Amino acid sequence: MTVGVSEARIGPGEARTGWGNLFSSRYWLLVLPAFAFFFVFFVIPVVLLFAIAFNPSVAGVVRFTPSLSLENFERFFGSSLYYGAALRSVVLACVVSFFTLLLGYPLAYFVAKTKSPRRNTFYMILILVSMQLDIVIRMYGLMVLLGDNGLINATLIRYKLIATPLPLMYNSFGVIVGLVQLSLPFMILSLIGIIQGINPSLEEAARSLGASRWSTFWNITFPLTLPGVLAGSLLSFAIAISSYVVPALMGGWRVVVMPIHLYQQISEMGYWQFGAAIAVVLFLISFVAVYAYHRFTENTIGGLV
Amino acid sequence: MAALAEQEEMHAAPAPASEPVEQPDVEDTEIPLVFRIGAVIAFIVLLLPVVVVVLAGLNAGEYLTFPPQGLSLRWVVHFLTTPNFRDAYILSLKIAVVVMVISTVVGTMAAIFMTRVDFPGRSILRAYFLSPLMLPGVVLGLALYAFYISSNIGLARTLPGMIVGHVLVTVPYVIGTVSSALYNFDLSLEEAARSLGAGPFEAFRKVTLPNISSGIMAGSIFAFIVSFGQFDISLFLSTPNQTPLPIAMYISLRYRFEPTAAAAGVFAITLVVISMLLTSRLTNLRKFAGLKFG
Repeated sequence: MTVGVSEARIGPGEARTGWGNLFSSRYWLLVLPAFAFFFVFFVIPVVLLFAIAFNPSVAGVVRFTPSLSLENFERFFGSSLYYGAALRSVVLACVVSFFTLLLGYPLAYFVAKTKSPRRNTFYMILILVSMQLDIVIRMYGLMVLLGDNGLINATLIRYKLIATPLPLMYNSFGVIVGLVQLSLPFMILSLIGIIQGINPSLEEAARSLGASRWSTFWNITFPLTLPGVLAGSLLSFAIAISSYVVPALMGGWRVVVMPIHLYQQISEMGYWQFGAAIAVVLFLISFVAVYAYHRFTENTIGGLV
Repeated sequence: MAALAEQEEMHAAPAPASEPVEQPDVEDTEIPLVFRIGAVIAFIVLLLPVVVVVLAGLNAGEYLTFPPQGLSLRWVVHFLTTPNFRDAYILSLKIAVVVMVISTVVGTMAAIFMTRVDFPGRSILRAYFLSPLMLPGVVLGLALYAFYISSNIGLARTLPGMIVGHVLVTVPYVIGTVSSALYNFDLSLEEAARSLGAGPFEAFRKVTLPNISSGIMAGSIFAFIVSFGQFDISLFLSTPNQTPLPIAMYISLRYRFEPTAAAAGVFAITLVVISMLLTSRLTNLRKFAGLKFG
């Protein structure tokens, strides 16, 4: 009993330190299921996939063999079909980040500066609903809006504003709109915390010294929110470049980005090794963004766990 | 109930219940007009597709026109009476419940360990549990699929195999919300119970658990809704004859606009709205800022 009481005395502030603590109490048993689960179903599969990428491509075979080669990567970077898709993915993701920022900043500012807790919660719920709602459902709505016979084109034609439908979908434009839809809530949530964290007296001081609202914003508020701008943009980039379903639906297979090549190699051709190589490239590009995002938020927003 | 109220206070939640008095919006006029207009445009981009799905699901005609021809429950009835999307919806619900239970138990246990024991590798362990969210979902799904096939453990294209993938991407949310609830919990309360003779499990169950319950509930709701709307992980892992709702909708959307799919969407939207309303009561919504990548 007495031993138990001393064990319970580990508070978050006065937690024990040193490796000895890891097994000094039986608490480590609590983390064991999660740790083992992640090891078996996350670490091993990912290592295996990345290892398969270095095997020569054989259709229909999914087994790691000791014969290593860079054949898949040579094929990827040797053919404009594939490295072109990688470049297209990167450019699209950059464009998406830019427009997401352009749309997201005013909304984040608006919500952050809304003082009424009731309305603030209401806006947050709207943003979270749009974030958590299945992306395929949102794409359904977007496709009904943007299709050749969709709401926008049909309405414009009916009121004789245009003669032929505008090409709003099954092209890069449609994919960009879809990806902006996908990443916008993440951008907004990245920015709200930063904007709310600004000491209001800084803005008040600038205003009382005669600065206009605009110049206060550009000289005081905006520079202080740059970490959030960067974090949100990196997050949007990583989300946009990883998406399969948005380019597949909004691009109608005509805008071929990396996740689409990845899916085709596996599901249609059965080239697991080459598909794995595309997965490695996709992971590396998105990881650079995610890693940078992580470094920025660690210092500014604070870790969650 | 008192514990819940206290918890809400600790989280400084902007919950309507705790702030019945509406403050005058004097400061709101400080928001420049450009930002107000921009905010309206952004809200339209965010929500218009959702509104369109609701209208398409409740539309009287075969195709959605502007202005709508009229409302009817025709497609909702069709959704409820034909197996196509109804079964996909029910399957998604079942998967989400199983994922929620597994992730909540496993994640809560891990969170207790991580807030109570300090050791040099703690930040590495934290990154370890967040790492499934850092991988593109399609890549993670593919890795699991390749692992199932090559190891021949009988999980390829099965429901348990898909549930494993969903658990990987929902546990981080539970660990996040439960950890922050545990940080806000005063451990001396549990110690007091222990010194009064309660056993370790009894003290935890009767004192700590009620105090962190809102964090656990928020985490499990998030796990539920992330699993329910999961597409990327399911793409490679779903079974050919049993498809969850996002996959079923994706397959049908490649060919035509099925109004029944929109009716299914209306039910999915309702579920997400209810979940987020519950979450807003339980925890500070701002905690979820940028949670996707930790």
